[in-house]
Amino acid sequence: MRGGAWLCLFAPLAGTVLILLAGTRIPRRVAGWVSTASVFVAFGGAIWAFFALRASSNRAGITYTAWTWLQSGQFKVGLSVLVDPLSTFMMLIVAGVGGLIVLYSIGYMDGDDEERRYFAYISLFVFSMLLLVEGGNLLMLLAGWGLVGLSSYLLIGYWHDRPSAVAAAKKAFIMNAVGDATMALAFFVLIAHSNSLEFAASFHTADTLSSTTVNLVALGLLGGAVAKSAQIPLHTWLPDAMEGPTPVSALIHAATMVTAGVYLIARTHPIFEQARTVELVAAGLGALTLLVAGLIALVQTDIKKVIAYSTMSQIGYMFLGAGVGAYANGLFHLMTHAFFKALLFLAAGIVIHAVANEQDIRKLRGVGALMPWTKWAFLAGALALVGVPPFSGFFSKDPIIAAALHDHWYGVVMAVAALVGAFLTGLYTFRLYFIVFRGEPSAFAREHYHAHHGKEGPWTMLVPVGVLTVLAVVGGWLQFSPVWHPLTTWLDPVARTLAVAEPTNTQEAIASILAVGLGLAGIGVAWVLYGSGERAVPRVPALQRVLEHKFYFDEAYDALFYRPAVVLATWLRRDFEEPVVLATGTDLGEGALDIGEGASRIQTGLLRTYVLFVGTGLAIVGVIFLAVR
Amino acid sequence: MQGPGIAWYLGIAAFLFGTGALGVLIRRNPIIVLLSLEIMLNGGNLALIAFARHAHNGAGQIFALTVMAVAASEVCVGLGLVVAINRKRLALDVDKLSELRG
Repeated sequence: MRGGAWLCLFAPLAGTVLILLAGTRIPRRVAGWVSTASVFVAFGGAIWAFFALRASSNRAGITYTAWTWLQSGQFKVGLSVLVDPLSTFMMLIVAGVGGLIVLYSIGYMDGDDEERRYFAYISLFVFSMLLLVEGGNLLMLLAGWGLVGLSSYLLIGYWHDRPSAVAAAKKAFIMNAVGDATMALAFFVLIAHSNSLEFAASFHTADTLSSTTVNLVALGLLGGAVAKSAQIPLHTWLPDAMEGPTPVSALIHAATMVTAGVYLIARTHPIFEQARTVELVAAGLGALTLLVAGLIALVQTDIKKVIAYSTMSQIGYMFLGAGVGAYANGLFHLMTHAFFKALLFLAAGIVIHAVANEQDIRKLRGVGALMPWTKWAFLAGALALVGVPPFSGFFSKDPIIAAALHDHWYGVVMAVAALVGAFLTGLYTFRLYFIVFRGEPSAFAREHYHAHHGKEGPWTMLVPVGVLTVLAVVGGWLQFSPVWHPLTTWLDPVARTLAVAEPTNTQEAIASILAVGLGLAGIGVAWVLYGSGERAVPRVPALQRVLEHKFYFDEAYDALFYRPAVVLATWLRRDFEEPVVLATGTDLGEGALDIGEGASRIQTGLLRTYVLFVGTGLAIVGVIFLAVR
Repeated sequence: MQGPGIAWYLGIAAFLFGTGALGVLIRRNPIIVLLSLEIMLNGGNLALIAFARHAHNGAGQIFALTVMAVAASEVCVGLGLVVAINRKRLALDVDKLSELRG
């Protein structure tokens, strides 16, 4: 168990270091394979840890500490990893789906100028996420948290000659830094009260804290989770992050990064349970985000942005599940979402790769006729996303809605939001599917479609998509809440579902029927509007404008934070920096120059003046000497 | 053994020193300037030895020997400079060697 955990954690880091040290001494392809192998070795380590934990009697988890990392008086933080049901579950998803995506990158990034850098970064990304989920105390978790932010910054801005990519990377980093800061503040409060950042000690302390304090801590943690998982109000970075290469988008959305927030809530649930209000705020934010993101996705024209908004929306479901206390359901949806969202991104990547790197769905119209396999794979992912039985989304999404339904009146409100979200999911997903994959290929697609040796892509891209298609279809059969629930049982020792979030079978049935019905209705509407071409899309210019501006979040942040900062900076520059700071420097310099110029008059260069000076000096010294004596 | 009083010696020493100093101040040929410096030093030496005799103390004579050693070194450096100046075909005139003017 110990070996598996450390192997899983450090294999990707070793991959990064190896690629960086080898530099141009290895061919580009080899860099890709080193990176892929390192992540698959990590997956092997995760499997090892998983089976060892299953065989072990201690299900609550074991912390392995390599050495004391920080020590300050009584406060001590070890470099430690935690192996428990939750962390092994996350390790399997991160390393497994991550490995498939890195394998896919070999085909996708082939021919890029800086492939080695890409693969070094992507291994680092997987390492960061593994550190986040395996970290044995809150500080290790925060270290992983920060590293995930850094590696996402590096990868989103991978094409650093594109100004838009650089801007998107900065935006992601700054948004995440806000979350990191609130988390760090929460940790300071915890340290002040418990003098420890160990999970157990911190959770134990949470019981004894005053409600204000525990609410503050929970709010800080929630801030971090919201920023990392792109929930309202810190969500605006996620769509922009589509500037990175497509496999990076897949990695950010499926295996690493955005799911970290859900993991954090599940991991620190004892704190959130002491601050139930904050936990419900998390659920509410999830419900709000899933609606808003679903609405925005309806008008996007970039294939990756539609999928990006659907990620926001699905993470909203996970927040809703984790927030009402159904942690296992949220994590189950995290898993199935990892499968089908990676599938959707990678399938979209095949299309983008084959059709001249075009991402505009109006130009890609009808490309499905040219790429039948990709079309079927995408369809499987889309059905899983909408939650049509027997695809995986059905099994994981409906229990979340049912769990919310069980929890008082606000639960019902959130469940209704989630049901409306299910309708929107069907609508935007199949709008995308019908436009891109159905009908006759557009002239653009026909002209630019470029098959890879008679296939739709290189095998390194097709194999991961194939595997993910299978997983997206069958992944949900792992758990069907009324009948069997191995995952909930597995996670029970660390993230027990709250009693308030355990729905009755009737509620489950109602939620399922409504969710599936509304999802299918969404598909039906999409068919009428975009598939069959029977009806034109209704025009509501005002609404469309609001949606196209993404509910004016960017504009609002611009007005609230950016503009005042610019005004302040301009004012400081004009009235402080230039007259005071800069002028002080030049004044000092000019003064010194003047003095020097005056003093340099003494240096005549004539020997006799020097002799005179020496003589005068001597005379003065002599006079003083005599006078004093 | 009685000779002239110490005042005579000091007088001559002052005269030598003054002559040397005048030479340093008004002559422009570096070799003459060096010569004048030697005269100043020797004036100083004469005063030292006179005081040594007057005080029946050997320290002054030791000082005089030290001054001679210093003077010899100083002449070495000075003449070396003169040779270097000559090599560069510069005028042997201290007033013209005024590149260090501020």
